Amino acid sequence: MTQKTVKPLTKYILLVIFAAFSACNGILELTPDSELTEANFFKTAADMDGAVLGIYSNYQARFPRDWTISEMLSDNTYRTGYFNIGGIDELNNLSITSENPLFADFWQRCYQGVFRANSVIHYIDNPTDYVGNQKAELTGEALFMRSLLYFDLVKVFGGVPLVTSKLTVEETYSVPRSSEAEIYQQIVADLKQAIDLLPMKAATADGRANKEAAVALLAKVFVYLSDWEEAKIYLDRVEEFGFQLEPDFSSLWSLSSENNREVIFAMTYLDGENGQPLSTDFLPYFGVTGVSSRGNENIFPTWDLYKLYEEGDSRKDKTITPYWKSPNSPPAESPVWYPFVSKFAVQHTPNSSGLDLPVLRYADMVLLKAEVLYRLNQPDQALAELNRVRKRAFGNDAHYYSMADITTEEAFIDKLLLERRLEFAYENERWFDLVRTGRYLTELKSVDRYYNPSDGAVQTVELNPQEHHRYMPIPRSQIDLVGSDVLQQNQGYN
Amino acid sequence: MKTVHVFFLLAGLTAYSPFTSADTMSLYSSYSLGSGIETGRQQMLTGIVRDGTGVALEGVSVTVKRTGFGVASDEEGKFSLEAVHPTDVLVFRSVGYQLLELEVGDRTTLNVVMEEEVAGLDEVVVVGYGTQRKSSVTAAISKVENRGLDQVPVGRPELALVGRLAGVNISNSRSNPGSAPIIRVRGSGSISASNDPLVVIDGFPGGSMGSVNMNDVESIEVLKDASSAAIYGSRGSGGVIIITTKKGKTGRPQLQLNAYAGVAEAIGHDDWISGDEFYNYIARYMNREYAWQGGDVSIPLWGDERRPPNFRVNPVIREGSYIWEDILLRPAPMQNYSLSVRGGTDNVTYYISGTYRDEQGTLLTTGYKTYAFRANVDANLAPGLKVGIMVSPNFADRRTSPVTMEAIVKTSPFVSPDPYPDGSYPRPLDYWGNSVSGQTSPLATLYGTFNTSSSMNNVGEMYAEATLGKGLSVRSSFGANITYGIAENFQSASATSNGLNSGSARDTRSINLLNENVLRYTGDFGGDHDLNAILGASFQKATSRTALQTAVAGSFNNETIRTLNNAIIDPSKSYTTKSRWGLISYFGRINYAYKGKYLVAASFRTDGSSRFGPNNRWGNFPSASIAWRISQEDFMRGNAVISELKPRVSYGVVGNFNIGDFSYLGTIDDVYYSPDNVLTKGWAQNAIGNGGLQWERTESYNIGLDLGFFDNRVTIAADYYRKKTTNLLYDVSVPAISGFPTALVNVGDVRNKGIEVELSSQNLIGDFKWSTAFNFSRNKNEVVDLGGVDEVINTHTRGMAWILRKGEPMFSYYGYKSLGVLVDQEDVDNSPVMDGSKPGNTKYADVSGPDGVPDGKITPDDRVILGSYLPKVTFGMVNDFSWKDFDLSIALQSSIGAKMYNLENLYYQGATVSAIRRSLVENQWWSPSEPGNGKEPATALSQLAWVSNSDYYLEDASFLAIRNLNLGYSLPQSFSERFKISNLRLFASISNLLMITKKGFHGYNPEGFTGNESDGINSMPGFNNGSEPINRVYTLGVNAIF
Repeated sequence: MTQKTVKPLTKYILLVIFAAFSACNGILELTPDSELTEANFFKTAADMDGAVLGIYSNYQARFPRDWTISEMLSDNTYRTGYFNIGGIDELNNLSITSENPLFADFWQRCYQGVFRANSVIHYIDNPTDYVGNQKAELTGEALFMRSLLYFDLVKVFGGVPLVTSKLTVEETYSVPRSSEAEIYQQIVADLKQAIDLLPMKAATADGRANKEAAVALLAKVFVYLSDWEEAKIYLDRVEEFGFQLEPDFSSLWSLSSENNREVIFAMTYLDGENGQPLSTDFLPYFGVTGVSSRGNENIFPTWDLYKLYEEGDSRKDKTITPYWKSPNSPPAESPVWYPFVSKFAVQHTPNSSGLDLPVLRYADMVLLKAEVLYRLNQPDQALAELNRVRKRAFGNDAHYYSMADITTEEAFIDKLLLERRLEFAYENERWFDLVRTGRYLTELKSVDRYYNPSDGAVQTVELNPQEHHRYMPIPRSQIDLVGSDVLQQNQGYN
Repeated sequence: MKTVHVFFLLAGLTAYSPFTSADTMSLYSSYSLGSGIETGRQQMLTGIVRDGTGVALEGVSVTVKRTGFGVASDEEGKFSLEAVHPTDVLVFRSVGYQLLELEVGDRTTLNVVMEEEVAGLDEVVVVGYGTQRKSSVTAAISKVENRGLDQVPVGRPELALVGRLAGVNISNSRSNPGSAPIIRVRGSGSISASNDPLVVIDGFPGGSMGSVNMNDVESIEVLKDASSAAIYGSRGSGGVIIITTKKGKTGRPQLQLNAYAGVAEAIGHDDWISGDEFYNYIARYMNREYAWQGGDVSIPLWGDERRPPNFRVNPVIREGSYIWEDILLRPAPMQNYSLSVRGGTDNVTYYISGTYRDEQGTLLTTGYKTYAFRANVDANLAPGLKVGIMVSPNFADRRTSPVTMEAIVKTSPFVSPDPYPDGSYPRPLDYWGNSVSGQTSPLATLYGTFNTSSSMNNVGEMYAEATLGKGLSVRSSFGANITYGIAENFQSASATSNGLNSGSARDTRSINLLNENVLRYTGDFGGDHDLNAILGASFQKATSRTALQTAVAGSFNNETIRTLNNAIIDPSKSYTTKSRWGLISYFGRINYAYKGKYLVAASFRTDGSSRFGPNNRWGNFPSASIAWRISQEDFMRGNAVISELKPRVSYGVVGNFNIGDFSYLGTIDDVYYSPDNVLTKGWAQNAIGNGGLQWERTESYNIGLDLGFFDNRVTIAADYYRKKTTNLLYDVSVPAISGFPTALVNVGDVRNKGIEVELSSQNLIGDFKWSTAFNFSRNKNEVVDLGGVDEVINTHTRGMAWILRKGEPMFSYYGYKSLGVLVDQEDVDNSPVMDGSKPGNTKYADVSGPDGVPDGKITPDDRVILGSYLPKVTFGMVNDFSWKDFDLSIALQSSIGAKMYNLENLYYQGATVSAIRRSLVENQWWSPSEPGNGKEPATALSQLAWVSNSDYYLEDASFLAIRNLNLGYSLPQSFSERFKISNLRLFASISNLLMITKKGFHGYNPEGFTGNESDGINSMPGFNNGSEPINRVYTLGVNAIF
């Protein structure tokens, strides 16, 4: 076929089209339609408020699974055959390695929260449309949450890298661990500042930080520092706020009364939409009638704990339910001995429970105060505080301890730790109480796990708690990234 | 006179003797004597020209060599010539067919059969922005023509290509209707960005093969090396697949019907157990568990309070013998009907087609239906000005299963599939309230779940092509790829174990606009210099929008109405989002040939993408290649054996920009909190911004050799390549104190190197024809650099890890090497063990310790590389036979060396009193006195920490498959002509006729896995939890041309 040429006019038209399209560089200059970026966010007071909610959101997501560390290490639980969560077996048996994914996850989440708090503090001066004390309050919330996060970190790992500003990725490769004391120093300083900045609880939404929470947390921090005088100052300030022990222990764990006078600071949840998995985590796999159509059956309560509850203690039945009947099982089947943790068992959507979870509650302050008063050589007042919690538990004073029960410091700490164990079972206190009192070395040597009521047989495990278990290993993946010269491993985990 | 030469694939080539000219004639044509009557020196001659399948050929030029006088065949293939001498030689010529010369002799009628051109010298190969003769190609390109591929009964066109292309691995990791296979060209180079090849449909880059209908396909080319793919620059790193659809042809309308229907049957397992056998294994399982807990196994299994409930065995499980695999998998019908018309005049040509196909899934309730149309119209508007339009709307409806296979086939044999009077289905819990699986009946799940998606897609384009001067032309095109998709999910309360109904609806829209302008020059100077050049510019802009609405769980008022107007919308799970990207490219290419012997090609493309920060938008992608056709040199010419000898060398750079649209910015995401128990939206940064983000670059070298023997009756293309991907777009782990686990950066190198051989041979010609196409590929993937760290390990909850380690293939399995089973306590005490090991657990190899030497303990230091999901070697072979009117095609595929982590096996080993497969339990450890074969550890759920982190569940997934067998019969001409059909072929086809796997392989599909293949460092390729069975499909079909 012979080729024919187009008329010159057509040729020019084509060339013009060609040229026109070659000029449209706008194709490359695009900005996101649906995503905010660092460049256009943090501009208004509303942005900052949303960024503060981001810190809570981080804590809210992590907190319900803190039991995987603090309770799994303790003598309150043992894992089931379901084995849903990687790494808990190591904690259960106290054979802990630095590759354990639980610590890597905990570390990651804590620092994600710290980053969000630091972002708020970094950009807090940007907006100009704050109303009233909003800027101070938002700063206070960020500081409070940052100190809470560091408190969680320091309790688990000891000294950790101290990050209080926004870092570039390059900078994160050269931040070594600060000492435990330095971390506590920062926590104390942040909390003192937060106390000044935060509004009173009555003026804040439930689930957000408030002045009372900052005071209470600081008191607790001083107890962990064994600074009894300072602790007492802040515990006394807590008393001024008018918190009280709920008369009925079980009303602390009820959807209708989750917002009560005992709660100082709680993470708030909404069933189905913004819920927590804790209510599901400890239920038998097939669920519990009226509570949940299924459970995660991650752990069972130990006989070690269950046998300690006296008859008449209202905490016993609330904390652990001994007999269970599978929902929808043939009606003829009778309930079986199947103890499970029912403390958080409200009716809920599986893995998305609306039950709020206290981070700080007044009973903790009362028992901390008992401890502080005893250390400050005021055993009778210490005893009074201890008995306040017992009275609430039993509904009467028949189970009061007497001075005869606490003649030695050893005896007092025994009673105190027992009370804390019974009161705060599955609330992430037990392991840290054992560590800060050094009792983990003895208490965990032998743990009674399963009890068979038909023949009275008890299954006991022997564990090997060692000095280095005071601190958990720094996640190996983090050390691998920056080198062991920058991030040193805790002793005993190399 | 008829000579038959037998070729054996790899042998006997040297023994082959040179052809005589008479031989040659007999090889490429067959003719029969008509009713010849000797009539003297001059005669009248008539004849019919047909192709190999008996279709009459129109427009064949028939010339008398002596006089030069010629005629063309008419639309019935007929021609007539006057005054022909018996000694005259007739020359038959037609594009796409071999030149044929015939001596007239004493015949007055001729039945001439034109053979299609053997793949070889003059085959045309489609390359980016143009075509080339295969003989002048300097790069590594594989081509498959659609010869019967449209009769392979598969749901998606990719699957018809399995095993047919060297260096192109198409694996169907999920075998449910409509699911896209994974295609990897010469291995994977990227960790976080996509490794998918770029699909170019009739010049439109960025299409999906799922939207192509095989009936419309003319040919498929794969640009494998960087020198050919570099013309697509920034998107070429995964290779380029070019699909060319059928175009109109001048001539009377030719109507083609292709219809087939058949039935698919899942290839399942044959070792499920029930009744007493099932009960006995469960009893052993429970006793084993009880013994580990220190229990006394002599306590009766049922009815004794001393035995804790978790270790009892309810005798009810002995009843019933329902094999759920048989209940859930059904023979499923499949049908496909295509009708097309192609034709045209000198000025307008057209191709129009419509296809309907309906493929029901072998798993109950699943299925995939498509309706596709295509129109390709080209017109010469004026001399030198050509325009064309292409549209290809297609619609697809799909229903998928909400669960993977293991979750449903594991249903216990005592659970009846028959519904209760109220219509609900029995669950395991209805039989026994403890220890069993908490699942619902699979029938309730499948019948009560409506996961449907439908999509509408059109790749459309119009173009104008003008000749500007001698050899110079310009082509401008505007195209659009528009996709609308709707995915609606509804699950009734009875379908789930949490008893809450749920629903969602997702609408997606994407519009991808493209303008391309290409200036083309073709010329030859003085006869010895051939020059071909293009210069082009391309502008592409894509916008997409997604709208999602989700119902609050349990909020449907009733289950009659399954749309969301019947539910409460969950505000935290409902949104619309939009995104955009743009790409500007300028490119050019020169192909130069000197005397048709020395071939040089070079190309350059520069791309600017909106996905990178302003300072890093542009990337340059050069390429160059050379080839030498030694066979055209004087000293080689006329060589009777070697007809083609062409070494070639190429180099090129391609890129990858398959990351999120705005990944270079630190994006802020919404998060939720509930202050005062009110759901409130907050914000948090979800990625670290990286303004320095830029292209991933893949640099590759290719050395190849094209060989042809005996007039290209045997051709071999062999290639060796090395490609190195650098500047990986890699979501690398960063210190967590940054606030993030990872950051997207350009760091790291991955290398792929390998060899490929494609061989094709016409083994037998004559009445009985046999041809073979064979291919072999071997690719070695290796992580070269990870940017500062030596390895990155991603450990699954069950203990197996996937590692990126320098010097090893990407995502190799990483775990403990097992040596067998710890038979008893003594064995535990005397072996290096992991903390907490008990009798029955895996005995691991103690290979190292903290000091790099075995330390008598099993710790993470003892983990080793255990293999890879990537095959070491793959083969494909297609054999085509024909004899008279029969033809037979057999396609084989084999893959060797891949391993799959079949964790799904644990679901069939007694856990939660679920269905059991005999082969998975019969040899395992049950107690010190029943230790099995000493190799298979106890596999209880509670013991997985001492089992599943080893190579126990890692299985060799090598296989050999007959992927397709197609037997056809073309009805005799006399018969079809009576019905005015120019060709009528009946065929029977069987897909996956045979699948041979290794003895220890337990999965349904040796290529099947459910883990994420490309998810950055979180990838778990080869992790299999319930990938679907492959189907054997039997079909009968008819292919008629009118």
